[in-house]
Amino acid sequence: MGYGKYVLFRIVNLIIVLGIVTLMTAAIFDSAMTQILEAQINEMVQNDLIQYIESMKASGKTPTQEELREYEKSRIELYRKRYGLDKPFWIRILYRVRDVMTFNLGEATSPQISFAGSREVKTIILGYLPNTVFLFTTGTLITILIGLLIGLQIAKRVGSFVDRLVSILAMVSNSLPMWWTGLLLIFLFAFQLRIFPAGGLHTIPPPEDKLLYIIDFLWHLTLPLLTIVLVSFGGWAYIIRNLVIGTLQQDFVMAARAKGIPERKVLYGHVLRAVSPSIVTMSILSIVNSLWGAMITEGIFNWPGIGRLYWVALETNDMAIIIGLTYVFTLIWLVALIIIDLLYGLLDPRVKVGIGTTSS
Amino acid sequence: MKRGDIPLKISELKKSIKEFWNEYKNYKSGIVGLVLLIILASVAAGASLITSVEDYNNWYNPTYWRENPVDAPPVWVNFFTSKKLPVHQVEFVSVEDFKYVEGEPTEGLRTYSVNISYEFKYDVEPSDIIIRILGAVAEGKNASITITVIRPDGHRINVYKAVSTFPELVGNYSAKTVSFSRTSKASSAIIKWASQFESEENIREVSGYPPHGDWVIRVLFSKAEVGILVGEAELLRGEYQFSISVTFFDEESMLYGAKLIIAGSVYGWMGTDSLGRDLFVGIVWGCRLALIIGVLTSVISTFVGVFYGVLSAYKGGLVDELMQRIYEIVASMPLFPILLILSWKFGATVWNLALLMALFWWTGPVKTVRSMALQIKEETYVEAAKAMGAGTWRIVTKYIIGQIIPYAFAIMALNVPGAILTEAGISFLLGGRGTREPTWGRILHDAAAAGATLKGLWWWVILPGVMITITGLTFVLIGSALDKILNPMLKR
Repeated sequence: MGYGKYVLFRIVNLIIVLGIVTLMTAAIFDSAMTQILEAQINEMVQNDLIQYIESMKASGKTPTQEELREYEKSRIELYRKRYGLDKPFWIRILYRVRDVMTFNLGEATSPQISFAGSREVKTIILGYLPNTVFLFTTGTLITILIGLLIGLQIAKRVGSFVDRLVSILAMVSNSLPMWWTGLLLIFLFAFQLRIFPAGGLHTIPPPEDKLLYIIDFLWHLTLPLLTIVLVSFGGWAYIIRNLVIGTLQQDFVMAARAKGIPERKVLYGHVLRAVSPSIVTMSILSIVNSLWGAMITEGIFNWPGIGRLYWVALETNDMAIIIGLTYVFTLIWLVALIIIDLLYGLLDPRVKVGIGTTSS
Repeated sequence: MKRGDIPLKISELKKSIKEFWNEYKNYKSGIVGLVLLIILASVAAGASLITSVEDYNNWYNPTYWRENPVDAPPVWVNFFTSKKLPVHQVEFVSVEDFKYVEGEPTEGLRTYSVNISYEFKYDVEPSDIIIRILGAVAEGKNASITITVIRPDGHRINVYKAVSTFPELVGNYSAKTVSFSRTSKASSAIIKWASQFESEENIREVSGYPPHGDWVIRVLFSKAEVGILVGEAELLRGEYQFSISVTFFDEESMLYGAKLIIAGSVYGWMGTDSLGRDLFVGIVWGCRLALIIGVLTSVISTFVGVFYGVLSAYKGGLVDELMQRIYEIVASMPLFPILLILSWKFGATVWNLALLMALFWWTGPVKTVRSMALQIKEETYVEAAKAMGAGTWRIVTKYIIGQIIPYAFAIMALNVPGAILTEAGISFLLGGRGTREPTWGRILHDAAAAGATLKGLWWWVILPGVMITITGLTFVLIGSALDKILNPMLKR
């Protein structure tokens, strides 16, 4: 199998996995939500009926039983059609998968979800995404940077006080709920010390001046950003420490040292180069993961990002948003996996992608 | 434990466990983890001994908790503040501890009496004193109730005297409740007693006050001097005695006991929430729930994952390819939202939530286990077993999984925190729509819903989260020690 064939194989595999993931997700959510939706429709129809009678009364007419039944039936049909309940289960989800696979993501069904007046799922996702990127992707990047710096430093001093501290921190942060840490920071910095706002993107109303607007945004960003970095940098530092220590024991490092290359150069030149494939892999995966945001943390900080969007969609039974989000982010995830796979071949000369010739 | 020695006989097993322990005890973090685990497991197992089962069963019954102070911090805040707050105390005296006299005060009557003492040593008075007499008064009959307070300075106040039925229903008994701040008879008796020490001017001022309320309690706990009514007299510390006597006029009526409730403003080891619920009860039972969730999920999912990985590696070829695709699909599913919607729909208990999580979590160890199994598969003893005609099942379970099992324990321990965190997240988001039990996540949900961070009720927010973190940490400590000892990849 050549390189080109290998890439093709991976892409076909991606499409199949993506299709099945979307189908299964659609099936699970659809079957879980049908019941809730039916109840919801029932309630809406009852409301419509009351309004209908009122409006008839206002124009001096009393609707007959026949008319009422006719109206009720038409409303039920309308809503069932809007939520896609008029078709049988399997047809419904198969159509939905076919639609999203061709990037026809449709419109949000729940009235609570829109972006800048638009109900297009595509527009909504693209509208919410930047907020998550500003918060979680920035947080991830800062975490990686801090983790890298600390990890390299403590790898030089294994067993030292700082080394132990970071190890403990890594273990604690492994079981620290991010959202709970957020609650504590809100409690401390927003309500007790009153240094940072408790949540939201900006003050209401936001400042008119551009510069002030940015400062105001950064001010709101600080606390959630701090939360993310605080719970994740220990883990990163610990992983990088272990990677570096593992590499430091290898023959080529010993050879470099024997040649009299200064320790600094050995660490930042040889060792860092050797561990870079793993770090790049982890970084790509973390960054892709960060696009999901976090449902609870965004909720706590009242941050209108992707996680929040997903939660609101769940609460309001908005299938279009849920499946749209699942599809788009699973796609990004699987593409990232392929890119990592191919990139590994470039970064690490020991790894050859595919079997046989390297025809790239 | 070295690779290749499969413990077959009991003696060998004993030996390898001993060997393992000798290595394990070198890891300080592992020992700390083990100690923590023993503590947590004891709390979880002894939840019904440490707290009352009745408290736990009534967690969602607000009337059950209405006698407790709401939003009360834990008692140990008194160690850190200069102003000592009164501890909420409940004394129950059962009928056996009452003095019983027949034919008192006259022939045919029965009188029960008791003295309950209360040591007042705080800088703030309690918010109320409630005395509840429990028993049953025969149909159409009455009981005579007398309550007297004997203060540390020797003054006796006849707070309450009345002939009454037991009009309330508490559990299986009827009851008569006297609240010093709300029962007007009691309040006015205290005010009347205090007036003898007070200046004309202050009495005039107080006459405009509501006839009862919290201020009456301040009077009861003040020194008998000018200013007692207006809260200017100093607090009087020392032993207060509450003397209760109940007289029945017939043979049928009976007494069950009496309860003295000193309504304080700090409560228990972990404080109370906005419904007055004792958070200690929630935290202790939450420990049991968290361990169930964490351990059950990780044990099931690890076993499934290990078996899956080994089978995939051993079978190889098309089966391997297919199994890897299935793995990829499950690993790519949006786990958290799916768990959310399913536990919402099924109104999950911790048990079925654990099973649900295991259904998606087995993917964790598959990759590592598969690569381990691929190596073991090539070992000569597996070849030999194959040549001797051993079946797939036997080879997979005995020769390959047998090798990986020790490492599986490490994976298991390391998987527990994730399961606990996920459950906490689900309970936090769903609240009453999620798991029925009061898990730590659920307690945090209630805290957030009641605006605990805004109101400064730190104990309600901090303690459940600290418990989640400690429990997770316990398993990380154990898991990483196990990993260092048992993971053949790290060994070399």
